[in-house]
Amino acid sequence: MAMKPEDVLRAIAAARGDAICVPTMTTSPAWRTLAPDDLSIGCVGFMGGASSLGLGLALATPKRRVIVFDGDGSLLMQLGSLATIAGAAPRNLTHLLFKNGVYHTSGAQEIPGGLSVDFVTMAKGAGYRTAYAVAELDDFTRRLPSMLTDEGPLFVELHTGLADKTPMTDRSGVPFNQQVDNLRTRLTKAG
Amino acid sequence: MPESIPAPLIIDTLKDTFREARGGSTRDPLGWILSVPDTHQKTVLAALDKERPLRVVTCATEDEANAIGAGLWIGGEPCMLMIQHAGLYASVNTLRGVSMDGKIPMFYLIGLLSRERDREPRESRHSMVRFCSPLLNTFGVPHAIMEGPDDVHFIPEYFRLSRERRGPTAVLVGLETS
Repeated sequence: MAMKPEDVLRAIAAARGDAICVPTMTTSPAWRTLAPDDLSIGCVGFMGGASSLGLGLALATPKRRVIVFDGDGSLLMQLGSLATIAGAAPRNLTHLLFKNGVYHTSGAQEIPGGLSVDFVTMAKGAGYRTAYAVAELDDFTRRLPSMLTDEGPLFVELHTGLADKTPMTDRSGVPFNQQVDNLRTRLTKAG
Repeated sequence: MPESIPAPLIIDTLKDTFREARGGSTRDPLGWILSVPDTHQKTVLAALDKERPLRVVTCATEDEANAIGAGLWIGGEPCMLMIQHAGLYASVNTLRGVSMDGKIPMFYLIGLLSRERDREPRESRHSMVRFCSPLLNTFGVPHAIMEGPDDVHFIPEYFRLSRERRGPTAVLVGLETS
C-alpha cells in the first residue's frame, strides 16, 4: 500500500533539524501544520519551480541541508531541472519526489505516463549522485537519516497516496512574499 | 548608430556591480550568473568561463533560472540572469509568480538576437525583437537598452533598482557582444 504523505512529512519534521524545506502543491497544507513558522518556503503557482528554488537555496547555504518536497506532475513541468541540479552538483540538496501519478490539486487527472514514469532512472541519467525509490514507511524512516546527511544531489522517489488536503481545498497559509521575507531574514541573520 | 559592446567591459561591470552589492567585499564567489545560453551574448559567456569570481550556473530553461535566482537571493547571494528575448517570452509566468508576487529582486540581461543595426527594436522585422520592450512594459518591468559601450552604466543602475523596488528589472543588449 502506498505511503500516506502526511506520515512521510511527519517523519521528516521530526528528523530534519535546521534543514530548509521546500514543499510544493499537495505537501504544502500538511507541512504548514506539521512545521509552522519555520525554515520553509512553499511553492504554489509557479509551475514546477520547487526543485530550482531548492537548488538556489542549496547553493546559497552550502552548510545547511535543503530538502525539496516535489510532486510528479510538478517535476514534469520543469524536468530539465534534473540536469541543471546535477550540473550544479549541490552536496547539500535532497530532492524528494512524492509520486502519486496524478495532478491531485487540479482534480486528480492522471499525469502523462501515470505511475509508470520512472523518475529514478531519469535522475540517475541526469547525473544525480544517488537516486532510489522507497515504497514502505518503515523503509523510509530507516533510510531517512542518510537522506539528510549523504552527499547530494540525492533523489528519492516516494510512492505515496493522496494527501488529505490540497492548496485548493486549504487556502490558508502565509503569502509567498511574506514567506520569502521570513526565510531570508532567518538565513541572512544566521550568517 | 548602435555599437557592439566588448565582453571584457561587460564582465568588469558585472564584477563591480556584485562587489557593490556585497558592500565592497571581494568574497568568492562575488556573484552568480544564471544563464540560458544566448547567441547574442556568447562572447560574454565564453569570457565568463575564465572568471572564477563570477559563478555561472547553466540552466535548461529561463523558468529554472528565475527560481534558482530566487533561492540565491533568499539565501543572501547576489545574482543576475543572462537570457535572450525568446527566453523571456517562455518564462513570463515565472517572472510574475516568483519575482513580482514574491517581491524578489531579479535583474535580467536580455540579448536582442537578430536586432538590425539600422533599426530601432520597435521597427524590427522580427517579432521577437519588436515585442520585448512592450512585454516588459505590460508587466511594469523597468528596463533600458544598451546601444554601445557608453551605456554599460545601465547594468549597475538597473541591478540597484531591482533591489530598491523588490522586483524585476532588465537591461536589453542591443547588438551582439564582441
